Amino acid sequence: MYLIFKKEIAGYFSTPFGFIFMGVFLLLSGIIFTSYNLLGGGGDLNGMFGLFSNISFMIFPILTIKMFADERRYGIEPLLLSSRLSSTQIVLGKYFAACAVFLAALAMTVVYVVMLLIYGFPYMTAIVGSYIGFFLLGAAFIAVCTFTASLADNYVTAAIASFGALVGLVMAGAVSRSLPIPVVSQVFSALALTRQYDEFIRGIFRPGPVVYFVGFSVVFLCLAIISLERRRLL
Amino acid sequence: MIEVKGLTKYYGDKPGVLNVSFSIESGEAVGLLGPNGAGKTTILKMLASQMLPTSGTIMVEGIDAVARPKESARRTGFLPEIPPLYPDMEVSSYLAFFAGVKGIPGKDRAAHIRQIMEMTAIDHVKGRVIKNLSKGYRQRVGLAQALIGFPPVLILDEPTVGLDPKQIAEVRDLIKGLSKDHTIILSSHILPEVMMICKRVLIISGGRLILEDSIENLEQGGKTFTIRVKGPAAEVAEVLRATPDVAEVRPVDSQPSEDDGYSRFMVSGKVGNAVREEIFHRLAARDMPIMELRSVGNALEEIFLEVTA
Repeated sequence: MYLIFKKEIAGYFSTPFGFIFMGVFLLLSGIIFTSYNLLGGGGDLNGMFGLFSNISFMIFPILTIKMFADERRYGIEPLLLSSRLSSTQIVLGKYFAACAVFLAALAMTVVYVVMLLIYGFPYMTAIVGSYIGFFLLGAAFIAVCTFTASLADNYVTAAIASFGALVGLVMAGAVSRSLPIPVVSQVFSALALTRQYDEFIRGIFRPGPVVYFVGFSVVFLCLAIISLERRRLL
Repeated sequence: MIEVKGLTKYYGDKPGVLNVSFSIESGEAVGLLGPNGAGKTTILKMLASQMLPTSGTIMVEGIDAVARPKESARRTGFLPEIPPLYPDMEVSSYLAFFAGVKGIPGKDRAAHIRQIMEMTAIDHVKGRVIKNLSKGYRQRVGLAQALIGFPPVLILDEPTVGLDPKQIAEVRDLIKGLSKDHTIILSSHILPEVMMICKRVLIISGGRLILEDSIENLEQGGKTFTIRVKGPAAEVAEVLRATPDVAEVRPVDSQPSEDDGYSRFMVSGKVGNAVREEIFHRLAARDMPIMELRSVGNALEEIFLEVTA
């Protein structure tokens, strides 16, 4: 698994993808921090993390569109699938590499916290909770995108499928509130990742949402492993 | 040693390979010939454990490739028609990655890769990004990947397609050198290449194994020439068929142009100089002059065209 992880990390930064993701992420965070905190005088990062959860469906697919498409395009996938590496090792290696790039980008926004500490009195519990919650949310989104990418043969299909899946998950919260049908609205509510994330922004740190995000990620990673395993048996 | 029995592969309800059986001894170099869509690549992928058959058995060095595909894959090195390369990786990084994938221990990896790069003459481009290499060098890098772990069996799918003549000669020489220490299965459209490298040939058409024989046997049994004679087709054919050592006489044109008085035939058999002289005398005795007599250059080619027609 470490072999795949190392190769993927190198791949993110030998092609534009890693730089594009980090660039777009930091640009958006910078714009939000500037308008909400520097110009608006806000003393916390609620605005930034709150907005991020609603627009992150645009940026996470960047991390995953080439995850499997490259190896399919260049005929490498059959070599990997017939090697000693298991589908689990391949999927997890790629997934953790994407999470590592996301974590690196997120870590760079700590400079905003430093600035808040210098010029204000931010509520650190909420900020730490927001970082943990946003990382868990991002990891769950990356797991969903890993699954949709595992079904696609090319970048475009992977991008559209990932984008569509994430839009659906972000909208699920709003849909569940407006749908009066009992079972259906509960299903949509369960899929509404961003609703679970709201507690972290308020500084509420319960095991329930953590387990929810981890479980959500595990389910989609299992689906990705099954998808890859089916290709091995063709 | 490779043993294939009743190998069949269906793509949905369309047959790709139908009931193919053959065996290859250790150290043999075998050519797999066939027209486009014959099933050659499907067979090679199944031998390399990259595809499961619908039915049939494949034993590679004593390992059941269907039941234990990963173990079997370790005994083979596969170079597909398009080499499986990461274009944005450097050559050395690419080979190091696949050395890890194929289980070469970390402490041995550098020396192993160095040896393989020397064998495939790519050590001077080890620091270059793969997408910047010429097609010939990319083919060599693909071959180097197939050699990692020194598998006893090398499976090469059209290894010289798209290369220029110089690159073809270099890759061909490389494969010939490897054939001394490896069992090689080579698929190609280039018949002279198969004749140069392989001792035996399997001809596949429509998913079936049509012909299996040594190149030496095929060459000896298949001497052929075409002959154009002034005279009625039926009489000319009679004279030709009556000549000793002539095995087969076939009209070349589907509608022989008898109107202009000439007829053309393909004559095959053990037709050396003595037989040609005999044909000359027999036709001359019947006042039927020979207007043209031409050897068919490549016996393997004519057999290939005939059996795959």
